[in-house]
Parts: sequence; structure tokens; C-alpha cells
Amino acid sequence: MKRYGAAISAARPRVVAALAARLRDLDLAEDAFADACASALTAWPMQAPRDPAGWLWRAALRRAIDAKRRAAVRARAQLDPPDPLPTPEEALMAADEPIPDERLKLIFVCCHPALAPDSRAALTLKVVCGLSTPRLARAFFVAEPAMLQRITRAKKKIAGAGVPFEVPGRDAWPERLEAVLTTLEIAYAQAYEDAALAGETAGFAAEVLRLSGLLAELMPGEPEVLGLAALVRFAEARRPARLDDVGAMVPPPEQDIGLWRRDLIAQGAALLDRAAAAAASGPRQILAAIHACHCARAETGVTPWADIAALYDVLAAIRPHAATAVNRAVAIGEARGAEAGLAALAQVQGVEDWLPYQAALAGLSAKAGRRADARAAYAAALALDPPPAERLYLERRRRETS
Amino acid sequence: MQYMILIYEPESAFEGEAGKNRLTDIVAKHMALSGELRASGVQKDGAGLQGSATATTIKTNGGVQTLHDGPFAETREHLGGYYLIDVPDLDAALAVARRVPVADGGMVEVRPLMVH
Repeated sequence: MKRYGAAISAARPRVVAALAARLRDLDLAEDAFADACASALTAWPMQAPRDPAGWLWRAALRRAIDAKRRAAVRARAQLDPPDPLPTPEEALMAADEPIPDERLKLIFVCCHPALAPDSRAALTLKVVCGLSTPRLARAFFVAEPAMLQRITRAKKKIAGAGVPFEVPGRDAWPERLEAVLTTLEIAYAQAYEDAALAGETAGFAAEVLRLSGLLAELMPGEPEVLGLAALVRFAEARRPARLDDVGAMVPPPEQDIGLWRRDLIAQGAALLDRAAAAAASGPRQILAAIHACHCARAETGVTPWADIAALYDVLAAIRPHAATAVNRAVAIGEARGAEAGLAALAQVQGVEDWLPYQAALAGLSAKAGRRADARAAYAAALALDPPPAERLYLERRRRETS
Repeated sequence: MQYMILIYEPESAFEGEAGKNRLTDIVAKHMALSGELRASGVQKDGAGLQGSATATTIKTNGGVQTLHDGPFAETREHLGGYYLIDVPDLDAALAVARRVPVADGGMVEVRPLMVH
């Protein structure tokens, strides 16, 4: 059963996107896919399909067309005479065509500015990446019924208001692209947060990697699109080194560079170079440049902390955010000493209950030799329920401090 | 798909001598847009409404109807007119709606019609 689960997960984004683009109905696409999966679990043990994605696509499309017919019949409360000629759908299914990759269209649908901003990221993760409603509720800090309602409302708006399943024309890009980039950024942040990539998040980072690459291929002249694709590649390049052999998190400066994926670093660097050629900077390019600095250790042996701190200065100016302020303080702590870092961190207000803040405070305090402060901050960080890999790391640091 | 483009504007924008000129100017722009949209088959219907002072509202509460002088809501912006258009999708409708002239502080709302 597990074997089939993996094949279904791998096929899901492509098949659901293709169904949604064909049917122009997100609910119907998701339901039909679920039905097809149920059939697959019965049919595949008897005869394994040559192309699982193709099998699921055909099965789901058949289900969806049946469901549409039944709904139409119910609406007219009478039976249709049989069709004299094959419908375009029947012709299509007979043609055994490969699944069109419609994910980009689906992303633009899910990120349409006519939808509430807080719904777009959740909907994209749900529909394009297949995250469950409970997982989304946890990721966005809302109750499950509220998340379900948010997604349902967004789907209703798409269907009711006639949001087109198309990649918009170039004249609409400035408005539409910003929404897509923000959504993918939020989506990737959810995947990056968990170093161990346990459970449902597995495969999800890979999906954002693919989607950002696809967007970069489609919009090669958009520097922020290239910046986002570069950022995801630099960050994913280090993933194999993010856990040690007992499963504890390893921060970038301590990672074994032998484990980094040089192919992804090279791709990221090439994308960032192309973005720079457009001479229009933006937050994703700056974030990518920060990641590039961390990756530079693979070549030079040292992390250029002064450069990283300077980049965080720029990012904090154009897009102020608590995470930026905390990371900036950590970089300053490395570049100019722990006391300077603590001074920068003291400027960040109202985030005492936030794990990255307490972890940064603990690290900087320990580095400054303020052992009591460090112990208190490690205790506060551990009380904030960190993911397992980060918990192991923080516990070890706390032991080293006492 | 059919969409209603509802135009909400502050009526104060069309008061006084300057307001009258503004109205003449905006009506001319509506005529030009409407002419183009009708010629291309996009526009099915549309009209400007007389001022909200001419409105009468019928409210139903507990099965009882009562007449009220004036529009249904006391807001600064009032429904001033509409376009009924038939276009492929929301993006096309929004593209038309962006071209609808409004007085400063005005807005247009795009609503799909129910499909039967």
C-alpha cells in the first residue's frame, strides 16, 4: 500500500492541476482525484499501471465527467437521450494523451487578486501541493474549521466569479506576479521551517523547487521570479547537511560543506546573475544573495558575515519584518561581536513568545559569555515547542552553556 | 459569463457649478465607452440612475412592507449607474470595469450574474 501511496503523492500535483484546468472547477478536480485514488488502491495490486499519473488522470477525468452528467441530469430532472457522437471529452480520453502540465495556470488562479490575500497561500498549498487542511491550519495558526471555511470561500469565489484558468497577459503581470511570488515565498517558508522534512512536508519543498523553476522558465525577464528560484535552490542545496546523525538541526555555518548540493548552488548562482542583469533589485533577490553568501563558504571556507549583515540592512529597509530584524542581529553578532548583536536584537520588540527570537537571544548571550541570560533564553525557546530537530539542537546548546 | 458593473460615487462630486461640468464630462466618457462596448457586443445593457434623492425604498420586516423615502443605506457613495456585460471571464470583466469613468472617491463593483 505504501508503494502506491508514494506514486499517488508524486502524481498528485500534476494530475490535479490538469484536471482543474480542464474542468475549471477546483472542488470537482480534487474530488475526482480522490475517487481515482480509491479505485487505484483496488486496481493496482491486480495490475500495476505502466504510467500511474496517466492512469489516475484518465480515471479521475472519467469520474468528473460522470459527476457533471449526473448533476446536469438532476438539474433537468429527466434523462438525456444517449449522445449520437462521442463528446470532446470521450475523444480526449480515448486519445491517451500525456498529462498537460497546467500547474502554472493553477497557481495564477489560486493567487488571483480577487481572492482574499490570506486565502491565496493556503489555497495554493492545498490545491497545487496537496497539503491537508489540518496541516494548513497549523501552518497559518488558525483553527481547522476556520481554515476549511477560508478554502471553501475562495473556491466558491473562483467558480462563482469566473476567475479564468489562464496565465495572464504580460500587461497584468506587475499586479498578478507579486501575488504569486508572495504566495510561493510563504509556501516555501512552511517547507523550510522543518529541517527534518517529516511527514506531510516531505516532497513539498521539492514541489516549491519545481514550481519556482517553472515560473523562472516562463518569465525569464522578471528579476524577482529569478530571485525566488535562486533563493529556493540555495536553501535546498544545504538541506542534506541540515541534520546531524542523531537528527539534530545543524545551523549553516556549522554544516558539512561536503554534503551540500553543488548542482543546486550553481543553478542558484546562474539565476541570481541573470536577475542582476535586469538591474531592478527586490526582496527575493536580496534574500537569495544572503543565501548565496552562506553557500560561498563552500568555495572560500569562511562565511562573509559583514556582507550578510549589510544585505539584511537593505532588506530591513525595503521590507521590514521581525524575522529580518532577528536574522540581522545574528549576522551583526558574527560580524562585529556578540554585544553588537545583542544591541541590535534589543531593538526588536514584542516577539518574546517567538521561537527564532529566543533562539537568537540564547545564541548571542552564550557567545557574549552571559551564561545566565543564555540559559534563560534556551529555556524560553524550548518552552515554545520547537520541531524535534531544533529541540535536540537547543537542548545540546543549553547543556554546553551550563 | 454575464457581469454587472455597479458604479458607486459620492454625489457631492456632482454638486455646484464645478460638479455640473464634471458630470457633463463624465457622461461624455460613459457615452464613448458604452458606444464602443455595444458595437463590439460586450455590453448588453446599462444606464445611469437619477440622484439618490429620487429613491424610494420598500422594506419587508416580519411580512410587513413599509415605504421609506430615500436610498436603502445612509452612505456617502451611492449607486449611480450600471453596465451589464457579457465577457469570457472575470479578468475580461475587470479589464472593462477599469475603463469605467468615475468621479474621484468613486468605485466600481464587479458581480457575476447567477447562472440558470
